[in-house]
Amino acid sequence: MSTTVTTTRHDHRIAWLTALGITIHIAESVLPSPLPGVKPGLANVVTVVALLEYGWATAAWVALLRVLIGSLLIGTFLSPTFILSLAGAVASLTVLRLASWLPGRGFGPVGYCLVAAMAHMAAQFLTAYTVFIPHDGLFHLLPVLMTAAVLFGLVSGAVSHLALQHLRQRGALTP
Amino acid sequence: MSTRIALTRADWLAVILALALLPALYLRYWGDAGPATAVRISASGQPDITVPLSSNRRFTIHGPLGDSVIEIRDGRVRFVSSPCRGKECIHSGWLAHAGELAACLPNGVMVSVLGRDRRYDSINF
Repeated sequence: MSTTVTTTRHDHRIAWLTALGITIHIAESVLPSPLPGVKPGLANVVTVVALLEYGWATAAWVALLRVLIGSLLIGTFLSPTFILSLAGAVASLTVLRLASWLPGRGFGPVGYCLVAAMAHMAAQFLTAYTVFIPHDGLFHLLPVLMTAAVLFGLVSGAVSHLALQHLRQRGALTP
Repeated sequence: MSTRIALTRADWLAVILALALLPALYLRYWGDAGPATAVRISASGQPDITVPLSSNRRFTIHGPLGDSVIEIRDGRVRFVSSPCRGKECIHSGWLAHAGELAACLPNGVMVSVLGRDRRYDSINF
């Protein structure tokens, strides 16, 4: 008995975007970071571009699949790193969903990346404090971590903006 | 290809709020911990002793190596004597600000100054 699974264009799109996100994620993971949790987070560019072009559902699939598969490939699945990654992804996706409900023109790529980065960092910090290191001294790191989140959020926002502009001009984004 | 990055009104709002949040975080978590109000003496295997910083008295804490003597006087606290070898606890000197700590690790005794903000949790041996 054989079963066939038919894949749709939607599936393929999610697969391509996820693969792109995973590649960026893994490439970025070789960069040394001065503090745990401080990283450029450039894979978020894929998430935000997906959000703006294809909607939140696609972006959510891409982001969550990236966390899962990325952790399997790097070897951190179910580790504390994975828990923190997942917490960050869920929080930033929730904020992106809420942000997308803003009436009028709403947010652009820069705004989305900024709020997503801040939500991501805040959720990771809260998770780390609640689950792993319930020590008040941890709060000493919070201002530094949030500064990094704002900085890298703006950078990935700029990259997302330029990427989206470039892709749209080239007609590379298929409906 | 144009390289201008256009921000919407909502984007600007987000940027402004983010940039306003940062100094607030630094002030809150890097700033003064508030006036020092009490001293907590923690020793392994014994319940914590918490006394106001205004009390002028000495405590003798019995640890595995012997007795550590802690003195509170004029709103400051210090280790007077301890049976350890390195005497780092005594060398920490007078503690006067909230969040400050001195500990005699070999004897399992820790002295912390408490203030309005609970900056540091206790250390368990």
